[in-house]
Amino acid sequence: MSEESLIEEKEKKLEDIRKEAEEKACLVQRALYYVEEFLAGPMCGRCYPCSLGTYEARIRLIRISQHLENVNESDIKALKRIGSKMMEGSFCKKGKDTGKFIIETLTSSEEEINQHLSGICPKKECINLIEYVINPELCIMCGKCLETCKYDAIIGEKREPYLSGYLPFEIRQKRCTRCGECIKVCPAEAIEVITTKIEELVSSK
Amino acid sequence: MEKLIKLQIDGREVQVPEGMNIIDAAELAEIHIPNLCYLKGMKGIGACRLCLVEIEGMKAPVIACNTKAKDGMVVNTKTDKVQEIRKFVVDLILSMHPLDCMTCTKAGVCNLQKYAYDFELKESSFTRKRMGYPTDEANPFIKRDPEYCILCGRCVRVCKEQGTNVLAFMGRGVGAKVITANDKPLQESECTFCGSCLDACPVNALLEADRWRKGREWEYERINSVCLLCGNGCDIIVSTKDGSVQKISAGAPKGSAERYICAYGRFGFDSIEAETRLTSPMKRVNSELKETTWEDALSIVADKLKKAGKGAGFISIAGIENEDAITLKKLAKDVVKTKNFDTTMSLYAESDSLKNSQTADINKADLIVLVGLNPSQWERILPALDASVRRRVDRGAKLVVINSSDTKIGEAATINIIGNETSILKRIAKALIGKGLKADKKLEASVKDVELSEEIEKAATFIAEAKEPVLLSSPSLFDASANIALMKGKIITVGLESNAHGVALMGLTTEGKTYKEMVSDGMKVLYAVGEVPLNKRPDTDFLIVQNSHLTELAKQADVVLPSATFLESAGTIIDYMGRLKYLPKVIEPQGESKSHRDIFIHLAKIMGATIKRPAEAEVKKASKVETKLIFSPFTKKEGLDISPNEIIESVNASVINGSRLLWLKEAEKAVAV
Repeated sequence: MSEESLIEEKEKKLEDIRKEAEEKACLVQRALYYVEEFLAGPMCGRCYPCSLGTYEARIRLIRISQHLENVNESDIKALKRIGSKMMEGSFCKKGKDTGKFIIETLTSSEEEINQHLSGICPKKECINLIEYVINPELCIMCGKCLETCKYDAIIGEKREPYLSGYLPFEIRQKRCTRCGECIKVCPAEAIEVITTKIEELVSSK
Repeated sequence: MEKLIKLQIDGREVQVPEGMNIIDAAELAEIHIPNLCYLKGMKGIGACRLCLVEIEGMKAPVIACNTKAKDGMVVNTKTDKVQEIRKFVVDLILSMHPLDCMTCTKAGVCNLQKYAYDFELKESSFTRKRMGYPTDEANPFIKRDPEYCILCGRCVRVCKEQGTNVLAFMGRGVGAKVITANDKPLQESECTFCGSCLDACPVNALLEADRWRKGREWEYERINSVCLLCGNGCDIIVSTKDGSVQKISAGAPKGSAERYICAYGRFGFDSIEAETRLTSPMKRVNSELKETTWEDALSIVADKLKKAGKGAGFISIAGIENEDAITLKKLAKDVVKTKNFDTTMSLYAESDSLKNSQTADINKADLIVLVGLNPSQWERILPALDASVRRRVDRGAKLVVINSSDTKIGEAATINIIGNETSILKRIAKALIGKGLKADKKLEASVKDVELSEEIEKAATFIAEAKEPVLLSSPSLFDASANIALMKGKIITVGLESNAHGVALMGLTTEGKTYKEMVSDGMKVLYAVGEVPLNKRPDTDFLIVQNSHLTELAKQADVVLPSATFLESAGTIIDYMGRLKYLPKVIEPQGESKSHRDIFIHLAKIMGATIKRPAEAEVKKASKVETKLIFSPFTKKEGLDISPNEIIESVNASVINGSRLLWLKEAEKAVAV
């Protein structure tokens, strides 16, 4: 809802939200996207199970995806309860469909969701659980990532072809926001996404 | 007679009128279906989803508030599925509600607390949500606390239905808030402080501003009474504790269009203990009023009345109870032997128009015709009538407003006819005759040469096709309007004071000088009962004022007698719809004040006569008058033009000046500028 756009944005339809959500690989991100878009648009806010339920569902999904303190199975149980009660108790089809989506997403792979509780995002999309790392063996020190990074998170010196003694670039994890722009411009495909918890050996590719 | 159907709820068989929704039907079977957003009398909106019930034969649960009961239905209100959903919803609501039952003023009567108890929810299993909205306590009447709001929407819908339309929702979902236009404090909106929202709110989000530390709801004794401040005579429930009034709320049954009490009635009770309250008789000694005993004061009065005899005059307000009116008439006519006794009713009505007024139930009326009336909640002229009419229109009735000038209620009318009222009534009568309604020969003759217009034809069609039309008329236009009622419908006169009808039926109408004459001509002895609308002492040798508060007039009197307010004296009135209403004695009279009839009886005793306390049978007999409507020419009675505002404000001046309503007058003056 920006003040600059004077044209009223048309409310997204539930099918569109569903399609956009399914582009996300991680199930938690999928559910979170759906719920947030639903809250921003189609939710009318009148009946309690749907409006209060999705608000709570959003809080729980954020807790899971960002691996906040004390996240545990009760969050998943709460989400399942919200989903099923929304399906049974909502006033209109929109609420019922949202509830259905939450349940479907949560039950399509229990394993994947549970791994989030231990701090691992198998599909490597939940920002707090992943890190971007530059593979030192593949980095050609071209400097493109350094130029692109808006947050000055990459340190390194651009290599002059006629000189030697350059070290591979590194990403400063404290500044990295996992926006993904550096991965898009790296010509050597040297930047990898790893899950923080399990330390995968970057070099053994 | 409505058709009755049979259905089964939770195994109990119950018979209900056709078309009733399941929540009301269950109530008749003494089964409570949980609900938070349902308002009796209005269509269910299904927002809270607590009232979901399962009906045999239907796959999914349905909301009981908006489903009509059908013959042979089998309803189950407590299946596992719906109980789970209810528990879920209450759990969610508790997660955004401050868990404050210990000090909350609503404890004991809070629906949310009751449901949390029923579902054994100590605390919410969901994350705690707090919006941090500030409270609105800038006015001395209503406190708004959005932290406690559960977004049920009852206040918004009640305010909208009665026409004031001050509250609305801002935002959606958990962050939603009930606000006035531009989120301003209540006194900067068009709020009339009637407090209908206070009665509607199920939790502590809307409460009386002075409610804190005034005791718990279960400590209150709730007594049904009637407000006597204006011509509506609204039912009220007075909550008392330790012998003093703590709060007043609307008393008509839930779902009735008449469930209303305006700011004067609801918040004026502070005046009972105001500084201006008279607590002992006073007599004038050396041009100053000094306190004295009842025996002394009444002997002085008795002496003067005996000497004056026919030259004595009694004037009273029409807001006194029936028993007081009967006793006053006996005192004046039989003991003092004067024919001069009249009430303020004669300022705006002839007693015949009140005596011949019929009875009707506005809740059943499908067509309402207002003739010459301008009720307004904003100016507090018959505000309950304004609210009831607007509610009826919202619930499907049609409204025809006939007035010589533009009125605010005309905005809600199906047809608003502005013009000379008697001429309009004449033309409607002719149109009705044209539609085949039977009429008296004299009536037919009197409307022979009038022209009709489209508006008139339309109004006449409404009247002809209505099942239960009700005509409400100002007293001066009663005769003209009655001519329509001769053909169809019921006619009701609306007096400006609460017991105008009662006073007329009890016979307290003058047989000598009228109120106006007594005030202007000059009497030997003038005895004023109640807060008569006079500020200057009229021409009289001896003035006696019998009132509950020390008014400007009382300060100029020779003897002042303290009387009890209507909450301190048991009695009856006959309201504008012709109903006999009972007022119990809610609290003991302040100081040495006594009820009007007790003073009259005591006075009579000192004068050597006995007046017996009026029995209920006497009142009932006097009130049963055969109302016979006859044809009268289409004219408006002259001389009854006192402005309603003037009379209501002056008759209630002590109530307004002695309570927090004074703040209201000053705030309204400020906003008007």
